[in-house]
Amino acid sequence: MEQAERAERPVRADEATSLRAFLDHHRDTLRWKCSGLTQEQLAQPLPPTDMTLGGLMKHIAVVEQSWFEDDFVGGGLMPPFDTVDWDSDRDWEWHTARDDSPEELFALLDEARRRSDVVLDDALGPGGVGLDGLSAVEAPDGRGRFSLRWILLHMIEEYARHNGHADLIRESIDGQTGQ
Amino acid sequence: MTQTFDQGTRREAPIRADELTALRGFLDYHRDTFRWKCAGLTQEQLAQVHPPSTMTLGGMMKHLALNEVGWFGQTLAGDDYPEPFAGVDWDADPDWEWRTAGDDSPEDLRALYDDCVSRADAAIDRALESGGLDHESVETSSSQGAFSLRWIILHMIEEYARHNGQADLIRESIDGVTGE
Repeated sequence: MEQAERAERPVRADEATSLRAFLDHHRDTLRWKCSGLTQEQLAQPLPPTDMTLGGLMKHIAVVEQSWFEDDFVGGGLMPPFDTVDWDSDRDWEWHTARDDSPEELFALLDEARRRSDVVLDDALGPGGVGLDGLSAVEAPDGRGRFSLRWILLHMIEEYARHNGHADLIRESIDGQTGQ
Repeated sequence: MTQTFDQGTRREAPIRADELTALRGFLDYHRDTFRWKCAGLTQEQLAQVHPPSTMTLGGMMKHLALNEVGWFGQTLAGDDYPEPFAGVDWDADPDWEWRTAGDDSPEDLRALYDDCVSRADAAIDRALESGGLDHESVETSSSQGAFSLRWIILHMIEEYARHNGQADLIRESIDGVTGE
């Protein structure tokens, strides 16, 4: 993924088109920030943080898939996340990423995106529940169910925030910068 | 009066809300997150870099203040830039706000930032009186034409979230403070 190949954000569009375009733009931005690096480079932290680009890829994959396919639809986690003992290892995706090849990490990210887009196409297409549609799960703090609007906006900010982390980590690996 | 920001007093976006409430909720959440990331630091700490990046939290405060009045004031509403931005020769010094922030006290940076956010909110309120989120900007892009208010708010949410990600790592390198 190159900087110039990323999804466009149309400057005048309806709500659903705009939200999906911003999400796609940030999905592409993360792929660009992680492109062209070796397995060792993807495992390189920028101290004092122990975050890595590979860990970020695996983290975003589970966060995206769990929000759309598990929390919103109630469909469960996808492999390999479905068999992880999360109670005993909450940061499993972060510290196991170093064992994965770049190809495996990109494939995981692509699969999470594909599954999430199936959910979004269904919810936002003809006869779908729309952006006011509510999640299968309730917030653990008693606030009730999440709207699809909130989940989409949250995923945009989640990606964008992590892309900010990726900006500094990538620059420390090989000097590459850019918005 | 000094208002302190921490993770616990930050405004949250409601999980079920109409489009406008949700967008402004996420924008305010990231403004407060940014205030929290910059809170409690000295002028020297706000000027500290996390190499190899040359960004500083003070520079980021001045940069986001400029973005607030740039997008909501100048582009959306056609307002002139307020001082100190109005007097800058941007062609000669395109990174002026990043470069000069080290000379400003934390109080001056926060006052500038808060003033620009107030101006931005006033410009959003005026735009909403005439057209809602499809309201089109006064200034236009040469290739794409006018920006909708919807696009400008979404862009500012991504702009803030991206810079807050950078601020996470810079802040951690200054004094070890972390947190989403």
